Amino acid sequence: MKKLHIVGIIVIAVAIGVIFVSLKNTSTYADFTEALANPGTEYHVVGKLDKNQPQVYDPRVNASEFSFTLIDNKGVAKQVVLHKSKPHDFEKSEQIVLIGKMHGEEFHANDILMKCPSKYNDAKGQIN
Amino acid sequence: MDIQYIGEHLWAGKLGHAFITLSFVAAFLSFLAYCLASKNKAYLKLARMAFNVHGFSVLGIAGTLFFMLFNHYFEYQYIHQHSNKEMDMKYILSCFWEGQEGSFLLWTFWNIILGWILKRQLKNGEWEAPVMAIFALVQVFLASMLLGVYVYLSLDPDAAPFKIGTNPFLLLREIPENANIPLFSNPNYLARLNGRGLNPLLMNYWMTIHPPTLFLGFASTLVPFAFAIAALWNKQHQKWQAIALPWTYFGILVLGVGILMGGAWAYEALSFGGFWAWDPVENSSLVPWLVLVAAGHTMIINKNKGGSLFTTHFLAIGGFLLVLYSTFLTRSGVLGNASVHAFTDLGMQGQLVLYVITFIFISVILLIEESLFKVSYIFASLYILFFGLLYGYKRELMMVWLGGSAVVTIISYAKYFPKEKDEEELFSREFWMFLGALVLLLSGLIITYFTSIPVLNKLFGTDYAPKKIPVYNTWITPFAILLMILIGGSLFLKFKKTDTKQFGKRILYAFVPAVVFGLACVIPLYFMHNSGLSTWDAISYALLFITGLFAVFANAGYWIVVLKGKVSKSGAAIAHLGFALILIGALVSTSKKVTLSKNTSDKKVSDLGEGFDDKVSLFLQQGDTLPMGPYLVTFKGKTWKDIDFYFHVDYLKQNKDKKWEYAFSLEPHVQNNPRMGQAADPATKHYLDHDIYTHVTAGNFDTVPKKQNAWGNTKNYIGHIGDTIFASNAFVIIDSIRTNIGKEQYQKNDSLLEVTAVLRAVDAQSRNYQALPKYVIKNNFVFPKESEIDALGLKFVFSKINPEQGTIEIVMSEKLSNAKDFIVMEAYVFPYINILWLGCIIMAIGTGIAIAERIRKFRVPTN
Repeated sequence: MKKLHIVGIIVIAVAIGVIFVSLKNTSTYADFTEALANPGTEYHVVGKLDKNQPQVYDPRVNASEFSFTLIDNKGVAKQVVLHKSKPHDFEKSEQIVLIGKMHGEEFHANDILMKCPSKYNDAKGQIN
Repeated sequence: MDIQYIGEHLWAGKLGHAFITLSFVAAFLSFLAYCLASKNKAYLKLARMAFNVHGFSVLGIAGTLFFMLFNHYFEYQYIHQHSNKEMDMKYILSCFWEGQEGSFLLWTFWNIILGWILKRQLKNGEWEAPVMAIFALVQVFLASMLLGVYVYLSLDPDAAPFKIGTNPFLLLREIPENANIPLFSNPNYLARLNGRGLNPLLMNYWMTIHPPTLFLGFASTLVPFAFAIAALWNKQHQKWQAIALPWTYFGILVLGVGILMGGAWAYEALSFGGFWAWDPVENSSLVPWLVLVAAGHTMIINKNKGGSLFTTHFLAIGGFLLVLYSTFLTRSGVLGNASVHAFTDLGMQGQLVLYVITFIFISVILLIEESLFKVSYIFASLYILFFGLLYGYKRELMMVWLGGSAVVTIISYAKYFPKEKDEEELFSREFWMFLGALVLLLSGLIITYFTSIPVLNKLFGTDYAPKKIPVYNTWITPFAILLMILIGGSLFLKFKKTDTKQFGKRILYAFVPAVVFGLACVIPLYFMHNSGLSTWDAISYALLFITGLFAVFANAGYWIVVLKGKVSKSGAAIAHLGFALILIGALVSTSKKVTLSKNTSDKKVSDLGEGFDDKVSLFLQQGDTLPMGPYLVTFKGKTWKDIDFYFHVDYLKQNKDKKWEYAFSLEPHVQNNPRMGQAADPATKHYLDHDIYTHVTAGNFDTVPKKQNAWGNTKNYIGHIGDTIFASNAFVIIDSIRTNIGKEQYQKNDSLLEVTAVLRAVDAQSRNYQALPKYVIKNNFVFPKESEIDALGLKFVFSKINPEQGTIEIVMSEKLSNAKDFIVMEAYVFPYINILWLGCIIMAIGTGIAIAERIRKFRVPTN
C-alpha cells in the first residue's frame, strides 16, 4: 500500500495548499471606509440604494455606465459608478452587493449582485 | 366573532394535512418494523405494508396539491404564491415544484418510486430489511419537512420555537404575517383574489423537465448510500456492490443529464451569459455527481479485483451526505449574498443541519465494532447535542463534534476495516481508476470548499467574499487535465498487471496525434495574440485541450481497434469520449467567448477607471444600423403581447463581393412583469461551429405611441463656438457666429442687428445639415428667429448672448417622434459550443450502454 500512501499524502498536501493559497487571494466583504483606506484593493461592498439621490443612466452617452448612490451597512453613502448597463429591476432591489474598488471618492464597480424580493424571494404577506 | 368566509374549500387542506401526518407516521412505523425485521423476519410484512401506506399517502399529498392548483384554490398560500388564473396549464408542473415544499415533495416522490422498485428486487433477501430501513428513515426526515409543527427545545423561555417543516396546505389567512390585512375582514374575499403567478424565469420548457430529472438523480444517490450503510450494519462489505452498481450508474446518468439540462436552461432562458456560472445552486448538484462517479468507479475496481472497500463505502455515503449538504446550502438561506438565485429561508436551517448530522452520526456508529467504543461515542455525541441545545455555543460544539467524528472514523478504519494485503501495480487499470476517483473527490471537495465560504464565514466569524467564476475555472482546470490523462490511458491498462511496452505503444497512437493536432490549435488560440488570459491560465487551458484530445482519440481508438466497434462492451469508452468532448467544448466556448457588442454608438467615450474595460453593451435606436463584430445590426422595432416584449434585430453580413446582405434576425424577449419585475430571455442564433447569443438589458417598454408632430424634449444649452449639442438622432456643432454689421455701426445707426449662429448637424449616417437661428435686436428689443431642420425634426432658438462670459445660449427642441424606441443589447459568440452538447449526448449514451451491460451481466450469473 506504499504507493497509495504517497498518493494520500499528495492529496492532503494539495487540499491544504488550496485552502491557504485561495484564502490569500480572496477579496472580503467591506464597507466604504475600509475600501477608501485601500484604494487599489478589490472589495465586495454590501448596502442599500439611496433612493433620494439621482441615478444616471443615459445609454445614448454610454450604455455600459450607470451611476447611483449606495449607503453601506455602516450608513456611509458614496457615489458609485457601475461599468455595466443598468440591471433590470434595479429600483426594486432590497440589498445590493457591489464588486470593485475605490477611485478617488467614487466607488467603481465591475459587477453587481442584487436581492429583489419579488423575483427570487417570495416574500410572504404580499397580497394584491 | 369569527367571520364566516364564503367559498373556501377547507376540505382540501384537511385532506392534504391528513395525508402528510399519515405519511410521516407510516414512514416511521416502516423504519421501526424494518429494523426489527433485520433480526426477526416476522416483522417484514408490517414493514412493507407501512412503507406502502407511506408511499400512497405521499401520492395523496401530491394529488391533492395538483387538484388545488388545477382548480385555483387561492385561499391556500401555496396556490396563491405559485400560480394564477391567467397561467398556461402547461406550466402547472413548474408551479408544483417552484416552492420548497413542492420540491421536497418531488424528491420524496422519486424516493418512493425507487423504494418500491428496490423493495421488489430485494424481496426476502438478506438486504431487504437493512436497506429498506435506511430508505424509510430518509423518508421520515423528508416527510417531516412538510409537517409544519413547532417544538420548544431550549430552556431559554425567550428562544424561538424549533420549526419542523412547512405545511403546503396552510390557508393564506392563517399565515401570521397576514393577520391584519383588511382583505380578510371581507367574508367574500376569495371572489377578489387572484394568485401571484409563476416566476417568469421558470416559464420555460426546460423548467418542466429539469427539476424532476435532477431530483430523480438526487433520489438515486440514496440507493448506494442505503446499501453502504446496510453493509456496515450487516458487516458484509463486499456483496452489496454488485447489486448497487447498476443503480449507481443509473444515478450518474440521471443526475448528469439533470445537471446538463440545468446548464441548457441557463444558456437558453437566463441572461447570465453562459451555460455554467459556478453558482452555488449549480455546484451543489455537480459535487454529488462527481462523488457518485468516483463511487461507481471504485465499485468496478472492487468487482473486478476486490479491495477499495473503505473508499467505496466512504464515497457512497459521502455522495448522499453531499446531497443533504447541498440541500442545506441552497434551502437554508445561509448563502445570503452569495447567490442571486438561492432559495428562500423557510426557517428550516436547524432542521436541515440536524438532518445532515443524523446521517453522519449513524454512519460513524455503524463503523465502530466494539460496543464500549460505540457506547462512548453515542454518549459523547448526545452530551454535546444536549449541551448545545440547552446552553448555546452551538457553533463551537458542532465543530468539536465534527472533528471528533472524523477522528473516530479514522480510528475505526484503522482498527476494524478489512484492508488490502498486496500493493497495487503502478500500471494497472485499478490503480489509475483509483487515482481518477481521488481526483474527482478532490475536485468535488475544492468546489464544495469554495461554495461553502458563506458557511465558513458563519462558523469562523470571517468575512470572505464568495469566489468568482474565473477563480473556479483556474482551480478546476489542473484536475480536469489529470482526469483526461487517466481517462485516456486507463482502458488500455489491464486489471492487475499490464505489459508496459505494449501499453506505451498503443497509447502513442493516440498521444502523438493529440499533441500535434492540439499544438496546432492551441498556439493560435492561446499564445499568438493577447488572449486576455494569465500565463498560468493560458498554459493550463492549452494542456487541457491537448490532454482532452488525447482522451478523445484514445477512447475512440479503443472502441474501434480493441473492441472492434462492438457496442455492448463500449459503454466506458463512449462515456469517457463524451466526457472529454464536454470538457473540450466547455473550455473552448468559455475561454474563447467573444463579446460582439462593444459600444460603437458612443459619441464620446469618457475615460474609465483602471481595470475596467468591460464595455459589453450596445445602444441601438430604432432604425439605427451599427457595426457589431462582423455584422451590421439594425433594430427594427418592438412588438408586444400583454407583458411580453419582443425586440426585432436584423443582422447583415458582408458577402463575397463585399456587399452587405441580410443574414438573420433575432428577437430577444423581455417579460415586463408588473409584479415580478423584468426578466430577460436571450435569443441565440445557432451555427454548427458557433452560437451568437444576445439579450436585452434595457429598453423602452412604452406601449402608447407618441404624437408625431408635437415638439418636446426642450433643452437650453450654454456654450461657445466649437461646442457640441447632443440630440437623440444627431450631434450639432456650433460652427461659427456671424453678424450682419459691426457693433459700432449698430450703436450709431440705431438699426437692425442680426447675429446668426451657424449650426451644423451630423446624423448617424454622417450626413450634414445646417440650421441658422438668428438673434435679432431692433430698437433694443430682441426677436429671436428660430430655425428648423425638417429631416431631423430639430428646432433651434438663439435665445441669449452673454458678452461677459463670451457664451451664447441655444434652446433646442425635438419632435416627440424623435424619441425613438431603443434597446441596450449584449451579444456574445460562443465558439464550438456544439462540441459540448454533442459530448453530453455521447456521454449519456455511453453511460446507458454501460448500465444495460451491467444489468445483463448481473442477471446472467444469479439466475
